[in-house]
Amino acid sequence: MKFLILAYKNLKRRKFRSFLTIGGVAVAVAVLVSLLGFNAGYQEALTSDVDKMGYQIVVTAKGCPYEAATMILNGEAGLRFIDEDIYKQITSDPDIDKITPLLAQLAYDLEKMDGKGGFTNYLGIEKSYIELKPNVGFKSGGWFSGENTDEAILGYDAAESEQKSVGDKISIPGKDITFTIVGVFNRTATQEDGVIFLPLKTTQRIFDVEGKLTGIGIKLKQIEKISEFEERLYPIASIQVISMSQVKGTILNLVNSAKVLIMSVAFIAIFVAILGVINTILMSVFERTQEIGIMKAIGASKLDIFKLIWIETLIVCTLGGIFGSIIAIIGGNLVELLVREVMPYAPSGKLLLITPDLLAYSFLGVIIVGIISGLLPALKAASMRPIEVIRSGE
Amino acid sequence: MREHALIADKLKKVYSSTSQKIVALKENDLKIEKGEFVTIMGPSGAGKTTFLNLIGCLDKPTSGKLNVLGCDPMEFNEEQLSIIRGEKIGFVFEDFFLISSLNALENVQLPLIFARNYKNNNKPRDLLKRVGLSHRLTHFPNELSGGELQRVAVARALANNPEVLLADEPTGNLDTKNAQELFSLFRNLNREEGLTIVVATHNVKLGYSADRVIHLNDGKIEKDERLAKQDGR
Repeated sequence: MKFLILAYKNLKRRKFRSFLTIGGVAVAVAVLVSLLGFNAGYQEALTSDVDKMGYQIVVTAKGCPYEAATMILNGEAGLRFIDEDIYKQITSDPDIDKITPLLAQLAYDLEKMDGKGGFTNYLGIEKSYIELKPNVGFKSGGWFSGENTDEAILGYDAAESEQKSVGDKISIPGKDITFTIVGVFNRTATQEDGVIFLPLKTTQRIFDVEGKLTGIGIKLKQIEKISEFEERLYPIASIQVISMSQVKGTILNLVNSAKVLIMSVAFIAIFVAILGVINTILMSVFERTQEIGIMKAIGASKLDIFKLIWIETLIVCTLGGIFGSIIAIIGGNLVELLVREVMPYAPSGKLLLITPDLLAYSFLGVIIVGIISGLLPALKAASMRPIEVIRSGE
Repeated sequence: MREHALIADKLKKVYSSTSQKIVALKENDLKIEKGEFVTIMGPSGAGKTTFLNLIGCLDKPTSGKLNVLGCDPMEFNEEQLSIIRGEKIGFVFEDFFLISSLNALENVQLPLIFARNYKNNNKPRDLLKRVGLSHRLTHFPNELSGGELQRVAVARALANNPEVLLADEPTGNLDTKNAQELFSLFRNLNREEGLTIVVATHNVKLGYSADRVIHLNDGKIEKDERLAKQDGR
C-alpha cells in the first residue's frame, strides 16, 4: 500500500462526487480531442479530395469562385453555363497537359431517400475525364460505346444506392429516356462516387443545353505557369479560372478561423473542469482536516500530505483523460454527423482524425492541468497543523 | 539512575487570541524517566492535553525548556518534528482517529508508509495480533467496536517502535471492561517492552494503576505521586 492506493481509497470514499468531477474533466478532454481531431481530419480529407480531383484548375462561368469550387468538389450541379466554344478555344494552349469538358446537371427524384425525395447529380463527360482522374477506374463494365448514346456509367455509391449493375436500365426523372448502364466506377472516396455519368453530348441533348458546359477541368504541364495561363484567358470575359490549391488554402483558412473560436469554447470547458477539480479536492481537504492532522501526528511530513492530495488530483485528471479520450473516439462519429449537417462543404473521408499523437498530447495536457490544479489544495493540506485535530478532539 | 525520556523546565503554554489570553499551562517542572508508566490526572481544562501536545512535539511551548528523548523540539523545524513524531513517539487519542477509508491493517501500516518502512514489514500484523485483533485485519473502522478501534489505534501508535507512547483520554469513549483491558495492555507493553507511557485520564481507578500519578489542576502540577510497583513489579 503506497500513496497512490491511499489517494485512490480516499477518492473511492466519495464515489459520486469523484465520479462527477472525473466526468467534468472527461467532457473537457472529449471536447478538446474531438475539436483537434476534427481539425486534423478535415484538413486531411479536404487535401485528399482536392488531390483526387485531378484538375489543378477549373474554368467556370464568372461568379463566386468559392461557390463554384464547392459545387465542383461536391460533384453538384447548379453552375452557370459557359459556351463549349471556349473549351475548343483553350484546348490548344501550350501549357495545358490535360483538359476535359464537364457538364453537371441535376434532376429531382421523388423516390430518392426512401421516398423523401432528393436530387440526383448527373455529369456529362468525355473520355479525357478518365485521363485526368488518376484514381478512377472501372469496377465493372467500360466506357460508353459512342459520343451521344443513351448509356450511363454509375459512380460506386450511386450503383450501390440504385442497386444497379452493368446491363441494367435506369431512367432520369422527368425525361422520357431509358439508359443502359455500361460501367460502374471504382470507389474514389470523393463526392463523385454518388454521381451518374453520361456522355457529354447525351447530357447536352437530354437537358436541352446544346453547346453548353458548366466547367472545364485542366491539368497544366507546370502548375507554376498558372498565372501566365490565367493571363491568357483574361480576355474571355465570361469565364473565371479557379486554382484548386488556392481554394483549398482559403477553405482551410476559414476552418482555422472557426477552430480558434471553437478552441476558445474548449478552453472554457477545460477551465471550468479545473475549477471543478480544485473545488472537489479542496472540499475533501477541508472535510478531512482531522484526518490530515492525525496523519501528521503519526509521522506524515508536509511533503507526504502534499503528495497525497496531489496524487488524488492527478488520479481524477488521469481518469478524466482516459474517459474523455474514449468518449471522443466513440462519440467522434456523432460529432462528424453533426458537423456534416452544419457545414456547407464537408469533404468525403473521415472528418475526425484522432491519432495516437493527438491522444498523447491531450493526455499530457490534462496531466499538466492536474498538476496545476492540485497545487492549491495540496498546499492548503500540507500547511495544516497537527495540533488542530487534537484540540478539536478535546 | 535511568535516562530521562522527558525533562520539562518551567514549561509554560499560553493560547492567545485577539480578545484574550488563556494560560493553559503555568510554569511546570517535570522529569519522566524512560520505562515509566505515568498517568496525568485532573479535571477538564486542567491542561492535560496541552501538556501531552507539548511533550508529543505537536505544539511548541510559549516559554520554558523542554527535552524530549534528548532533543529540544524548540530547535526543530516542522519536518524534523514530523520525523520525531513518526519514529520516536506513538499517539493514542480519545476519539481513536482511525482513517475511515482504510481497514485495520492498513491503518496500522500508515505510520510505516510515512516512515518509508512498509516493504515486507510484518509488524502491523504482529501488532494487531498482539492487541488481540488478528481476526479483524480487513475490517474497516465502521465495522469495529469502540474497544477494538482503540486497540487498532494502539497498534498504529506502536508501528514504528516508538520510545514513548502518549495517550490522551484513551478510555473516554470506552466502557469499563474495555477501559480496563486497554490499561492492562499499556501495563504489559510497559513491563514487557520497557515502553515509556504517559496517559492523560479522568478515570481515577485506572489512573492509579500506573507507577506514577501526576495531578494537574488549572495548568499547574499540584501533586506528583510515585506509587508502589504494581502487580508484583
